[in-house]
Amino acid sequence: MPETWEGAAEARNLAQVRAFVEDFCRRVGADPRASFDLKLAVDEACTNIVEHGYVGMPQGDMRVSIAFDGERLTVVISDHGRSFDPERIAPPDARMDCEEREPGGLGWHLIRSTVDGFRYESGAGEGNLLTLVKRARGSGKI
Amino acid sequence: MEITVERRESITIVSIAGSVDGLTSADLSAAFREELGGGRVRLIGDFAGVDYTSSAGLRALLETVKETRRRGGDLRLAAVRPEVLRVLELSGFTGILKLYADVQAAADSFPA
Repeated sequence: MPETWEGAAEARNLAQVRAFVEDFCRRVGADPRASFDLKLAVDEACTNIVEHGYVGMPQGDMRVSIAFDGERLTVVISDHGRSFDPERIAPPDARMDCEEREPGGLGWHLIRSTVDGFRYESGAGEGNLLTLVKRARGSGKI
Repeated sequence: MEITVERRESITIVSIAGSVDGLTSADLSAAFREELGGGRVRLIGDFAGVDYTSSAGLRALLETVKETRRRGGDLRLAAVRPEVLRVLELSGFTGILKLYADVQAAADSFPA
């Protein structure tokens, strides 16, 4: 059964979201590294929603669902803020000044680097859906 | 997250405990900026107590290391734990920041 966390898209909730992911991963027996990587990817995705998703809009919510099929962890993160195409965000160049880099670029780089697959969908009325997939085992220690 | 600041001669040691994320990174940036504002450009981030950082924490480190170096100093990290080291490595930050086993080694690395 998938489990869901839902709350305001505010920075004060990021620690709760991480604890939610970490707790689920521990209960299904995911490797420490898989658990850490997924927690980081989810945190980065939620941080992007908090920082950029609802700019110029009323404060909104975010929702994180997680499921395990015996092999892979699947997280679906949804929000109703601004949509954007992660493919258009260039990988960051850490030597560049912060101002020169795409907002959220480093976060997206970390998401891409830590999960085994991701898909971003944005449909009218449906909000934005980011699906992250991570194999639970085989990655070992951090 | 908790921050403790200790000044030892020309070096400032900023010890952090807890998680650095989109909420707490602003406090870390502020602590570094306060030292820079006082003209102190030799900074050590004691990360022994940091169990997690997201890119928000990395941005605080990046802006600080650039400013310290621009002014002839540096931000160096001590006692980075494996979880944080993983994030630094994934981001390419191990090629930018100098890391040391502990605070003493980081302090000794600054020229007298």
